[in-house]
Amino acid sequence: MKMFRGKKVLGAIAFAAALFSSTAIMSTALSSSAMAWTLEEAAQPYKGTSIKAIFLDRPGYAAAIKLLPEFEKKTGIKVNYEIVPYENSRERQVLDFTGGGEIDVVLTDVVWIGEFAGNGWLEPVKTFTDDAKLADPKLKLDGFFPILLESFGTWGDEVYGLPFDNYSGLLYYNKCTLQQAGFDKPPATWDELLNVYGPKLTDQANRKYAFALQSRRGETQSADSFMRVLWPFGGSLLDDKFKSNLNSKESQAGLKFRQDLMKIMPPGIVDYDHAEAVNALAQGNVAMITEWSAFYSTLADPTKSRITDCLAVATEPAGPAGLKPALGGFSLGVNAQSSDAKKAAAWLFIQWVTSEEMAKPYVEAGGVSGRTTIYKDADIQKRYPFVQPMVASWDGGVPDFRPRFAEWPELSEVIAEWGTRMMLGNVSIEDGAKSIGAKVEEVLGQAGYYKGDKPLRK
Amino acid sequence: MSSGTQPDGSGKPRVFPTLWNNGRAAFAFLAPAVVALAMIGIFPTVFALVNSFRRYNLAKPRDPTPFIGFDNYLTVFNDASFWGALGRTFTFLITVVPIQLALGLIIALLLHKPGLSGFKLLARLSLVIPLATAPAVAGLIGRLVFNRDFGVANAVLALVNAGPVEWLGDTTNAFIAVALMDIWQWTPFCALVLLAGLTMVPNEVEEAARLETRSRWQIVRYVQLPFLLPSITVILILRTADILKMFDTVFTMTRGGPGAATELVSVYIQRVGFRVFDQGVASAQAILLLILTIILARLYIKFVYREI
Repeated sequence: MKMFRGKKVLGAIAFAAALFSSTAIMSTALSSSAMAWTLEEAAQPYKGTSIKAIFLDRPGYAAAIKLLPEFEKKTGIKVNYEIVPYENSRERQVLDFTGGGEIDVVLTDVVWIGEFAGNGWLEPVKTFTDDAKLADPKLKLDGFFPILLESFGTWGDEVYGLPFDNYSGLLYYNKCTLQQAGFDKPPATWDELLNVYGPKLTDQANRKYAFALQSRRGETQSADSFMRVLWPFGGSLLDDKFKSNLNSKESQAGLKFRQDLMKIMPPGIVDYDHAEAVNALAQGNVAMITEWSAFYSTLADPTKSRITDCLAVATEPAGPAGLKPALGGFSLGVNAQSSDAKKAAAWLFIQWVTSEEMAKPYVEAGGVSGRTTIYKDADIQKRYPFVQPMVASWDGGVPDFRPRFAEWPELSEVIAEWGTRMMLGNVSIEDGAKSIGAKVEEVLGQAGYYKGDKPLRK
Repeated sequence: MSSGTQPDGSGKPRVFPTLWNNGRAAFAFLAPAVVALAMIGIFPTVFALVNSFRRYNLAKPRDPTPFIGFDNYLTVFNDASFWGALGRTFTFLITVVPIQLALGLIIALLLHKPGLSGFKLLARLSLVIPLATAPAVAGLIGRLVFNRDFGVANAVLALVNAGPVEWLGDTTNAFIAVALMDIWQWTPFCALVLLAGLTMVPNEVEEAARLETRSRWQIVRYVQLPFLLPSITVILILRTADILKMFDTVFTMTRGGPGAATELVSVYIQRVGFRVFDQGVASAQAILLLILTIILARLYIKFVYREI
């Protein structure tokens, strides 16, 4: 009996020991594999794979292109890229998704995430982070600015892309011109910009203007010009029920303010795209512009700018509703229709180019990283004066500055047309807002938002 | 092999007689052209026709694409923006084509005059440059030429103490600027076609006319112009079709703006087809445009074209 019990105990001990040692072996195996994750090893099976990416002709992509050879050398994966003008980039990719194409690394603007993810064109990031062979243990999704990961990369509760080319609206100004006019700091509010700085910095006879707001028809009009004046004044495009909010007191105040700005802006502002606004500041013709953070490298480049010594950066002016700067940018994601090998290779590239490790080289090459740690670097803060206002803007920004649902491109077209008409005075602000509102509600109604077919997600 | 080059009894060598006889050679020669045409011309047109009767949005791949009869056409008929764009396109057409024809005729007549052959060769060669420019590039050049602060157009106006004119930021001026670019690009085409037409006038007839009258205008009006009618018909048909589908220049130069000032009908259709991705409605619009082009071409042939 005793023997029997002893046997039983021994057996239990042996079982426990076996269990313990096997879990110990497993955990060491796991941790050693975690320790040993390297890009080179992860990429080994995909050596010789070539993937295709869509890029824009902007500084963040030029920076990535500079860094590409390092990735290709490490992995043996060939990254081909096609540079597409922004205005054609959605068309290029949607046709590729529907026609069965060749793009593996998808470039998603903040306002396309609803459409691309909702249509199943993007592979959820989970597919790769769940795969120990592909997921870099140092990936750290929480190392991105939350607003960027949420806004550019997430739809519903699922992450589809990693923030790659990140923008905040900033106020760039010519501090020499401001000083000559007696201002030792930039305007803190939109009201100050118009009523205090505006008159002193505008000299129409000599074609000098206080401010330029890029307003060319297209996404520039709808995002950079129209939406920019709604939020700071407490307005918005849609209310909670997805009905037009453009005729609210606050939205109207913002749009009215934009008309008042025309007095201190160059004539023909409705034809100003980013290039024209940036050049106007760079050539010394206007004193202030609100532009994306990404244009810092252009304005600070002595071959493109005459005001490099006078260039200064601040957050956008605040409105009655506080600091509500423009938010924009792009994430990189994986095409759900690509082959498994190409998907894996594309993921490895995206993970690498947006990693914390590459953040510094990326910023030094002219990009704007979405990682938080890099901007705590004192050296980076000193060398890139746009960093502090940009981080402050991201901490206080509106994630749905523009609605991110699939219907936005259609709404953007409507806003772009009527927005420029309003600025030209072809239609009154009230009537223009009503026309946009009616069309917006028609589109959203057809999409099924008012019948409860679709969640009110923006 | 051996029979291919044998004399067939009549003394004339026959080349590959069997092939000729059953028409296979003709087929072989024609087939590539027919296949290419079917692929890039006929198939897309039929596809667009079919799509114009379907609800079909490329950006909504999960929605069904049922046939909906003439619903898309009804949408187009009730769409004020489409008719606005079409009206603008006709204004553009009747503005630029007469100017292009008149300038083209003047250039052609100058080049047709005897003498100065070296210069004329140079002039003829330089006429080809605008034609060889891609329309999208012409639009980009237009953006630079009509730039308010740094553009050539305002620099020239400044020489005569005029301007600066707000070209691309003003609704009327933007329309004029796009029209000027089109005139720059397509007047040489008219000139070259008309110059070819002028060489059709028999020398004897022209000389006889010169003996009859000293009026240059009368010679142009009663002798040369009748010979030019076929060329003018060709120009009208091609220019009309071109302007109805004119997209690249406008898109790169103004993107249809400011407001809708330069939104010609093709720019509008592109917006519907490739921004909203509503292929059904965009196809219906394109089919209507095709019908319109055919009607206009028939009218030109009926009223302008004359055989001499």
